[in-house]
Amino acid sequence: MAPTPPTWRLDNESVGEPGSSLHGVTGHEPTFLPTIDPVHEHDDQPGAPPTDLKGRPFKLPVDSEHKAKTVRIWTIHRPHMLAFHLSWFSFMVCFFSTFAAPPLMPVIRENLNLDKIDIGNAGVASVAGAVVSRVLMGTICDLLGPRFGASSLMLITAPAVFCMSLVTDPTGFVLVRFFIGFCLATFVSCQFWMSSMFNTKVVGIANGTAAGWGNMGGGIVQLVMPGVFHIIRHNIGSNDFTAWRIAFFIPGVIQVFVGIVVLIFGQDLPDGNYSELKRKGDKVNDSFKKVFLYAVTNYRMYIFALTYGYCFGVELTIDNIIAQYFYDRFDLNLTTAGTVAASFGLMNLFSRPLGGVLSDLAAARWGMRGRLWCSWTIQTLGGISCIILGVVGQLGPAIVVLLLFSFFVQAACGTTFGIIPFISRRSLGIISGATGAGGNVGAVVTQAIFFLNSSYPTERGILYMGIMIVCCTLPVCFVYFPQWGSMFCGPSKSVTEADYYKSEWNKDEQSRGLHKASMKFAENAKSERGSQHGSIAAKEGLEDANTKGETAV
Amino acid sequence: MAFELLQCHLRILFLWLVAMALVLAAEGGVLFSSLEETMVVTADIQGQNWTDGPRIRTARVGDDHMLIKWALNSTLTGLGVDREYTTVKIRLCFAPISQVERGWRKTNNDLRKDKTCSIPITSQKYTTEGNFTDWTIRRNVPGASYFVRVYVSDVNGTQLAYGQTTDRLKTSNLIIIQPITGRHLSIDVASVVFSISSVGALLGFLIAEFRRMK
Repeated sequence: MAPTPPTWRLDNESVGEPGSSLHGVTGHEPTFLPTIDPVHEHDDQPGAPPTDLKGRPFKLPVDSEHKAKTVRIWTIHRPHMLAFHLSWFSFMVCFFSTFAAPPLMPVIRENLNLDKIDIGNAGVASVAGAVVSRVLMGTICDLLGPRFGASSLMLITAPAVFCMSLVTDPTGFVLVRFFIGFCLATFVSCQFWMSSMFNTKVVGIANGTAAGWGNMGGGIVQLVMPGVFHIIRHNIGSNDFTAWRIAFFIPGVIQVFVGIVVLIFGQDLPDGNYSELKRKGDKVNDSFKKVFLYAVTNYRMYIFALTYGYCFGVELTIDNIIAQYFYDRFDLNLTTAGTVAASFGLMNLFSRPLGGVLSDLAAARWGMRGRLWCSWTIQTLGGISCIILGVVGQLGPAIVVLLLFSFFVQAACGTTFGIIPFISRRSLGIISGATGAGGNVGAVVTQAIFFLNSSYPTERGILYMGIMIVCCTLPVCFVYFPQWGSMFCGPSKSVTEADYYKSEWNKDEQSRGLHKASMKFAENAKSERGSQHGSIAAKEGLEDANTKGETAV
Repeated sequence: MAFELLQCHLRILFLWLVAMALVLAAEGGVLFSSLEETMVVTADIQGQNWTDGPRIRTARVGDDHMLIKWALNSTLTGLGVDREYTTVKIRLCFAPISQVERGWRKTNNDLRKDKTCSIPITSQKYTTEGNFTDWTIRRNVPGASYFVRVYVSDVNGTQLAYGQTTDRLKTSNLIIIQPITGRHLSIDVASVVFSISSVGALLGFLIAEFRRMK
C-alpha cells in the first residue's frame, strides 16, 4: 500500500529549458527532480530489499527514489558509490588536464618564447572557456544524462590536450589552453550526478566531497607533471623541449581512459541509464522568461557570483601562477616548486567539505545569519592570508601561509554553496549556474588585472589580489533575507519562509498551484532559523518529503 | 567547538609567522656595479666571418659551435690586478631585448639575485695567458639574443671581476640563437592518432546508445 505521491511532485523542470537544467548543481534540490518513472513499475515490496530495474538489490540503504541514504566512501557499490567515484575522479582528471601546463611553465616559456603577457593570456584563456561550458553542461545533462555529459566533454577536449604537443608559438599555446579549459564544466555533471544518486540528507556531503576531491586535481598535477618530465628527460634521454611535449600525453591518455570508463561503468540514475528509462508523468513547463526574471532581479545572485569569483576564482588563479612564483622567487627547482604548488590544491581533500560542514554547524546554531557570518569570516581570512603571502619573502613562512590561504579560500567555496540553495527556489538553476560561472569570471578578471603586466612583480600582484578578496567579500554584509535577517540585522517579524518563496510566483500562478513545490521547500528551510526555532518543524518537513514506503536498512 | 579549536591553532600559527618574518635574511651578494671589467672576451661562431659595423650573428642550436676566448686586458698585465683570480666562469647572458616582459631573466645588481646570465657554458682555472673553449650550443637553450660574459672569482667563489663580448649598454655584438622546436614527427603522429581515437570512441558509444534507445 503505497501512499499517493504528493502533488508537489509536479515540477518546473522541463527537458532542455535553459536554467531549469542546472538543478543538482548545489545538491539541495534533488527532492524536486523531474519525474522519471522507470519502464517497469517499481513498487517496492514491503519487507523485501529494494531492487533496480534488473532485479538486483541495492547494496546501500536507499529511500523511495532509490537514492542512497548514506555515503560509504571506501566502497564502490553499484550504482551509487561507483557513480560517486567516477564523478569526482572525472572532475579531478579535467582539473589535471586544465592545469597541466603551469608546473612546466619554466620549460614551456623558453621553448615557445613566451613572455609574461603570453603566459597571463594563456592563464586567462584556460579558465574563460568554462564560463560558457558550465552553463551549457546543465542542458546536456538534462538531455543525455550526467554520464554522457561528463564523458563526451572529456573525450571531445582530449584532442586539445594532445594538440599541446604540437604547439610552437604563443598564439597556439593560448588557443590550446582555451580549448582544454572547456572540460572544467564537468563540475556541473559531477554535482548533477551526485544529486541524482544521493538523498537530501547526505547529498551535501556527497557534493562537497566530490567537488573538493575534484579540485584536488589542480594540486596533484603540480606533483605529477614535473615528475613525469624528469623521468622522460633522464630515463628516456629526451631534451627539455621534447620531454614536456611527451609529458602531455599523460593527461590526455588518462582523460580518454576515464571518459571511456565512465561510459562503460557509469549509470545516470539508481534505476538505470536515461536510455533505459522513459520519461513519464505530467510536467509543468515553467516559463524561462519568468525563471530568468526572478534570477536577475535577485540582488543576492550578483553578490554571490562576485564572492565566488573571489574564492573559487582565486583558487583557479593560484593553480595557474603558484608553481612559477615559487620557482622564480625562491629559486626552487621544477620538482620542488611543483611540490609546494601541489600542497595548495591538495588541501581540497578536506578544506572544501569542511567549509560546508562549518556552514551547516553555524546554521544549526545561528541559522542563516550564522552561514553569512561564517562565509564572510572565512573568505576575509582568505584575503588576509593572501596579503601576507604577497609580503612574505622567506620560503618556510611562505609555504605555511600558502597552506593557510588554501584552507580559507577552499572552505569559502564550501560555505558559499551552503547559502546558494536558499536564495531562490524557482530560479535555483540559473542562480547556481551564475555563481559557478562567476567563479570562472573572477579567475579571468583577477589574472587579467594583476598577473598580465610586468610593471610590478608577481608578489605585488598576489598582495593586490588579497586586498581585492577582502573588498569583494564585503558585499556579503548586504545580503538580507527578510525571514532570517542579515549579518547585522535581525529578521523581519512579519515575513516567513513561505512568504519569501511564494513571492516568486504571481497570483495567477499561485491560483494554479504552481508554487506548491516551493512551499514544501519553505517548510524545510525553517531549519535556517537556527537552534532556537523550527528544527522540529524542519524535520517534519523532510520526513514528509521522503514518505513513500521508506525502506529500513 | 570546531571553531574554537581552529581559532586556537590560527593564533599559534600567526605568532610563529610573525616570529619567522622577523628573522633576518641578510643574504646580500656581491654587487655587479662593484666589479671591474678587467677581462677581454670574444665569441666566434665557427664558420662565420666578422665584418665591422653592427654585428648581430646567428647560431643554430645543435649545429653551430661557439669559440669563446678570454684573457686579462693586456693593459693590466703585470700590475698584480689578477693576484686573487682563481676561477673563470663563462656564461651565456640574455641581452636586454630578450629580457622585456620576462621577469625570470631580470637583471639585478645583487649577483645572488641576478638572472641575466643564467645559462652556464663552462668553468676554467684562471691563467694569465688566458684560455678558450669550444662550446656546442646545448639543445635546451631558448631562442633569444645573447652575449657572453665571464666572471672571475677568488678561492671562495666571490666574484672579483668580469668581461663580456658586448658594450656597457649590451646592445652591440649580440648573438641570436635559433632554438630547436622540440617537435618530432613521431610525437605529431601520436597526437593525431590519439585525438582521432578519442573522438571515434565517443561517436561509437553515442551510436550504440541511440541504437539501444530505439
